[in-house]
Amino acid sequence: MAGNDLRIMVGDKAFFFWTLAFPIFFIVMFGLLYKSGENAPAVAELTVVNLDEGRWGGYFVEKIKAPNLTIKTADAEPAEYSRLLVLPADFSARIEARRDQALAFKKRSGASVKAAARVETRLYQSIARVISELVLYGEGDLTKFLDGHPEFRDIVRVESRFPEKTVTVVPSGFDHSIPGTTIQFIMMMVIIYGGVTVLEDRKKGVLARMLFSPLSTADVFQAKLLGRWSLGFLQALMLIVVGKIFFGLNLGSLPLALLVIAVFALAMAALSVFIGSLCTKEDMIIGLAVLLANMFAGLGGCWWPNEIVPPAVRRVAMISPAHWAMDALHKLRFFQGGFADILPNLGVLLALSVVLAVVAGRAFKIRD
Amino acid sequence: MRRLLLVLANDVRRHLKAPMAILIFMVIPLGMTGLIGVIFAPQTEGSELPPISVLLVDNDKGLASKLLVGAFDVDQMKEMFQVTVTDEADGRKRMGRGKASAMVVIPEGFTLDLLDAKPVTLLVVKNPSEQFLPDVVEEFMNTMAVMLSGVVQAFAEEVRGIRAMLDRPVESFPWDKLGPEFGKAQKKVVAARTYLDPLILRLKAEETKAAGARTSFTQADLFSAVLPGMAVMFLLFIVQTLMRDIISEREDGKLRRMLTTPLRPIELIGARIAGGWVMGIAVLLVMVAAGTLIFRATWGPLGGFLLLGAVASFWAAAFFALLHALVRNRNQSGAFSAPIILAFSLFGGSMMNLEAMPKAFRTVGILTPNRWFIDGAALLRDGRFPFVPILILAGSGILLLALAVPALRRRTSV
Repeated sequence: MAGNDLRIMVGDKAFFFWTLAFPIFFIVMFGLLYKSGENAPAVAELTVVNLDEGRWGGYFVEKIKAPNLTIKTADAEPAEYSRLLVLPADFSARIEARRDQALAFKKRSGASVKAAARVETRLYQSIARVISELVLYGEGDLTKFLDGHPEFRDIVRVESRFPEKTVTVVPSGFDHSIPGTTIQFIMMMVIIYGGVTVLEDRKKGVLARMLFSPLSTADVFQAKLLGRWSLGFLQALMLIVVGKIFFGLNLGSLPLALLVIAVFALAMAALSVFIGSLCTKEDMIIGLAVLLANMFAGLGGCWWPNEIVPPAVRRVAMISPAHWAMDALHKLRFFQGGFADILPNLGVLLALSVVLAVVAGRAFKIRD
Repeated sequence: MRRLLLVLANDVRRHLKAPMAILIFMVIPLGMTGLIGVIFAPQTEGSELPPISVLLVDNDKGLASKLLVGAFDVDQMKEMFQVTVTDEADGRKRMGRGKASAMVVIPEGFTLDLLDAKPVTLLVVKNPSEQFLPDVVEEFMNTMAVMLSGVVQAFAEEVRGIRAMLDRPVESFPWDKLGPEFGKAQKKVVAARTYLDPLILRLKAEETKAAGARTSFTQADLFSAVLPGMAVMFLLFIVQTLMRDIISEREDGKLRRMLTTPLRPIELIGARIAGGWVMGIAVLLVMVAAGTLIFRATWGPLGGFLLLGAVASFWAAAFFALLHALVRNRNQSGAFSAPIILAFSLFGGSMMNLEAMPKAFRTVGILTPNRWFIDGAALLRDGRFPFVPILILAGSGILLLALAVPALRRRTSV
């Protein structure tokens, strides 16, 4: 019965669009966005309008220069820029008179936030360098500073790396987008297809006729559950294969990732049978599926990195099954985790599957 | 006309009797807007990020490392970073499980090396599953490194004095000679104050829009920007659901029976399209009311927004009338409608900020009603009348209607 259900669902012409083509479209879209998050401008751009009438403006611009920064100069504020620094006409005069000043730094909304942060940090570092040199110079005549002064040295340096036994290279945008999209579309498709077919089978009397065969209601329920689980797992397999072939997807341990997805699909299968048993209209099932899948996906970290989510929302996210699945997939991919690491996640998902299966079993009806 | 209105009134009554599906489709955009608003709204004034979790390992426990640790304790930094001081073994264990955005390790002998003006290296271990926050920590440490380097160089003589004090036994130290040294240091501190209090160079950062206008974005602004995109997406879903009657009545024989009455096909078609249009406007009105009450969203002049909503709803009714004239049955209707709506929403800016999209995607977005509705809503919020979006939606809607009516008449004849 489960095999037959799967055959009918796969036979639907729209099936491959919904389970494969459309998720891939999402994967590409979010993969490109994640990639640009990593950051599109490997070299961040800064436009400098140097109106300074003295020599300090040029000196300060030299201090800003860095390998990951491109500096463009302009005579006046241009119409198009991503980030702009304005050095006023009296920039040198104020420094030489030891009078404080605030430099206008404009960031275009919509331009890369990460590049803006990089440029802003560099500007703060340049200011710190210049001020250190001024302190070092002491009370001398600052108009002669640029003729000879002690140079700043980077005595303290910073080295960065990833934790031991985790990744060695920065994961690609697709390593983020494929698991998220897979989890989201398993939720959406299993609940919609699974729920609607349970409803249709009940309404058309298919379930009632099945009981004429040597099958009990429990057998029919289990078959429906298995059919919907197979649908979710098959969809995940297709997306992972496509991800491996075309996007070089790396999930860490593939068998463990499949185990996580299998348990997650089981929970969604139980939820789909429950919703299909409860609802009396197809539109209601579709609406509920879209609502639940989107809320769970948003909360669970399928759409955006969880790091930008406020701590309170992160706690609320624990109610989302997608959170437990995504967390487990992150442990496998980014921390090279093993079975013991994902055991709590599997436990939660399995417990949720059992609870939902019990509830679905009680709500499962042969006739309206 | 009277018969058309009777059918229309009957349709509206029928849909209001079983409103569950429509209600769910209205709850979704509100729920999604709420979620996006909660996540992306500025956390504190001037900060768009949640507190960054940092593990701090002090293997030095000297004067300089204490200064560095203290830097995280300044009020502004306390808002930005959530620091946990720990030992290296525990830190490595936690980082291995992704329990913090980054770990900062201050090496053993850090203070002494610094006092000797020897190059020293601070280690930042970054969480590999995070894309943004670890880099913030790294850049912060880079800035701290510059400042420490500056202090060590500016007070090189004093630093050497402190180093000498640390090396000698207390009793052999020439305390009586310290007076002039302190005097020199005091002069330097006084001179430094000229540059440091207030800072002789500061940044005044501001965010600008393309036209150069200043922006400050509140949570209500975020809701106001997100809600129109969500609203138009689910307006399409709702109008599509309502317009599906055209197919289902043909399939279950109701259409044949209705046409045995003096009702003309054109009246029936008119009633269906008007039904989708009117219900679409009603749904938008409910969403505007809910958005205003729940999220304090702003819409600009209400009359202008209603006009934009009416035109968008008309477009949706005309589009789905044409689609349902072309498909054969309910299954085909479902198979085509939802992907089309989702594609409209994805390219048109309902699912993500248009500015974040690749340029090619934005170009495709021009062909979607979502894009024009979102643009129109943005213009209204800026206090401008959305002439172009309304004209485009109305013009293309009329064209769709002109194609839909004859096609539907052919399918409606018994």
